Amino acid sequence: MKLALDGLRILDLADEKGMFCSRLLGDMGADVIKVEPPGGDPLRQRGPYLGEVPHPGRSLNFWHLNASKRGITLDIESDEGKEILKRLVVTADVVVETFPPGYLDKLGLSYHDLSKVNPRLILASITGFGQTGPRKNFHCDDLVASALGGQMYLSGERDTPPLKPYGQQSYHIASLFAAIGILLALLSRRFSGRGQYLDLSLVEATAAVTEHVNIRYHDEGVVAKRQGSLSWSGAFRAFPCRNGYIMLSLFRNWETLVEWLLSEGMEQDLKQEKWRHEETRRLNLGHIASVLERWTKIHSADELCQRGQLMGFPWAKVCSPKHVVSNPQLKERRFFTPLIHPELGKKITYAGAPYKFSKLSWRIFKPPLIGEHNDEIYQGELGLSAKKVHALASRGII
Amino acid sequence: MKAALDGLRVLDFTWVLAGPYATRILADFGAEVIKVGSRHIPGSDEDSRTGYFNTWNRNKLSVSLNLSKPEARDVALRLAGISDVVVENFTPRVMANWRLSYEQLKEIKPDLIMVSLSGMGHTGAWQNYVAFDATVQALSGLTYLTTFPGRPPLGVGCAHADHVAGLVAALALLEALEYRSETGEGQYIDISELEALTSLLEVAVLDFTANARDLAPEGNSNPDFAPCGVYRCQGDDRWCAISLSSEEEWQHFCGVLGYPAWTKDTRFATNSERVKHSTELDRLVEGWTINHTPEEVMNLLQGVGIACGVVSDAASLAEDPQLRERGFFTSVEHPVLGKVTFDTTPVKLSETPASFYRPAPSLGQDNDYVYGKLLGMTKKEIASFTEKGVF
Repeated sequence: MKLALDGLRILDLADEKGMFCSRLLGDMGADVIKVEPPGGDPLRQRGPYLGEVPHPGRSLNFWHLNASKRGITLDIESDEGKEILKRLVVTADVVVETFPPGYLDKLGLSYHDLSKVNPRLILASITGFGQTGPRKNFHCDDLVASALGGQMYLSGERDTPPLKPYGQQSYHIASLFAAIGILLALLSRRFSGRGQYLDLSLVEATAAVTEHVNIRYHDEGVVAKRQGSLSWSGAFRAFPCRNGYIMLSLFRNWETLVEWLLSEGMEQDLKQEKWRHEETRRLNLGHIASVLERWTKIHSADELCQRGQLMGFPWAKVCSPKHVVSNPQLKERRFFTPLIHPELGKKITYAGAPYKFSKLSWRIFKPPLIGEHNDEIYQGELGLSAKKVHALASRGII
Repeated sequence: MKAALDGLRVLDFTWVLAGPYATRILADFGAEVIKVGSRHIPGSDEDSRTGYFNTWNRNKLSVSLNLSKPEARDVALRLAGISDVVVENFTPRVMANWRLSYEQLKEIKPDLIMVSLSGMGHTGAWQNYVAFDATVQALSGLTYLTTFPGRPPLGVGCAHADHVAGLVAALALLEALEYRSETGEGQYIDISELEALTSLLEVAVLDFTANARDLAPEGNSNPDFAPCGVYRCQGDDRWCAISLSSEEEWQHFCGVLGYPAWTKDTRFATNSERVKHSTELDRLVEGWTINHTPEEVMNLLQGVGIACGVVSDAASLAEDPQLRERGFFTSVEHPVLGKVTFDTTPVKLSETPASFYRPAPSLGQDNDYVYGKLLGMTKKEIASFTEKGVF
């Protein structure tokens, strides 16, 4: 099986806001070179760590974002570092970066500068607010992007503060958009012969995945508010079971659901004619929920889900990571992928890539150690002598 | 300059959000996306007058085609024959029952690329599970992990899984197009929404597979820095998000607050001390933010280089000056609804930008163009099929 992006070469200068972009493309076969400052990217200093041992080669966050990449170190602020970067740009198709707007310009490494070196270069910039506008110099992280992107306001309960989704979602979403933008640029490069510049903002990427929020406001003037696990249309809500929670639908196959409760004597007044009307149920969700909760609490989540799915209910267990890893469907589809970490003498199980192509495969390999491929790339590919590489390292250029 | 996907034709059987979100990107960047729907098939007759439909389906064309009629299949095959891509997000049996599987479509168009986007994927024991965004979020771990310690699982307050699936499908499709540009070969792509979302949560997966730790939810707290969180501000349900990330920022933060006595407390002397005492620290910080609007807090703290943002609701987003400057929202004129406003795209390409030129189509709006001009049917044939309920 072939790799979709075999032959594509990417220089990744991004921090955690944009590292996932080239991870996505690396999994599909691109040759991604992660360029870290000498001493390694700061993300290596953040946990969680393998075995809870803080170490730059054991950061799980760094692993997730930088699998399928080779790694070099380079100080791009030094004159020699800039020259080396430009040499690397000559044979690169894509550069991904997340520096504050203006930083690369000041170094003489703007898109304008780099496209002179390589007119076919695609430069993707991911920043909090974008390269233009009154807030372009504002600082940003995932918490702030979720807030300003209109996403945080929607999550949580009425009596809690607004809640940020788990897992740096703004970084992942922006990275997905960036990867899409890069592919669009690659496709158009086939007829134009030239690269182009891609300007992406975390806040816009987040605002772009808020589903009903902007629609209901522009359509009806409604400002969506947080309401716990109840979905905005009232269709789904999490219910407590004997152990854990189940995500139940409140509107599908209502009569069948009531029959089930009835068979256990738990239906209370739900058998009444009035509850057969969806609108009535919608207006009295509190009551429906309390009756259902009495019932779910005496069952296990697994039991309800298994029986429920057989009866056509679109229910699911609310899974913790432990359950996710043992999900039979994910296992059957060979979604999880063990990667060898020779430096640890271990195999670590990663999530896989979420595509099954009939003619293409994905391949994931372990993330790089700090400067792991310095020799391979500086000596092997750029032709620098071992002496030169050693000298650059001793001066902190690499 | 030509649009990035100029000349690309997509036959679009998708509906609701995940699938249309993927094909929307293609349409925004110049592909001719032909939605196939039917008045006669439940679920396939989405109301084109809703804001929801209009947001996800701008820039697309629409034909009506009733696939429960025997003649309709031939028309579908002819449409596939002039298309580069077919996209669908039904449960696995649907296209198979219509005899429009990849194997069959490939006979007509050997280099066709077909994308199937479904909850659980097209293989495996769960392939026919009925899955919605809420259930995918639940199965992925995101619902469980998105809550405050001690609270029931809450999840994201919108269809995050559907958006992620749409983005993953669009990316996969573009990669297959790139491969086809190189080799001339099409193929079939099977995307599982569950896998798409779970792949973003890999850190939690790794914490379990590598550390045997079943990660517990952490709310808004940050184990590495403090103060870092969401703080109540002046006004009704108004909040700001503040994220410090260095000792230097803490000094600036204290300066903005006017160096109140509590900032000199030894419990807050270093970042690690502040993290240890974050509950108490957050209470004190909120004692300050509560006297300011979130906009004031944001501007004061950003002014000294600290990441801070208003927790925006829909009204704030609509008036956000940065989003306005960036052209995040736009409107087009809809023949029935009048002006329709929707989000554009965060993907800002310098040479081949997106364009927003067409509202979402009504069902069958482009029958004459697609069946007449593209497939070469006569007006009589189209009228006959329409009368027979095939269109």
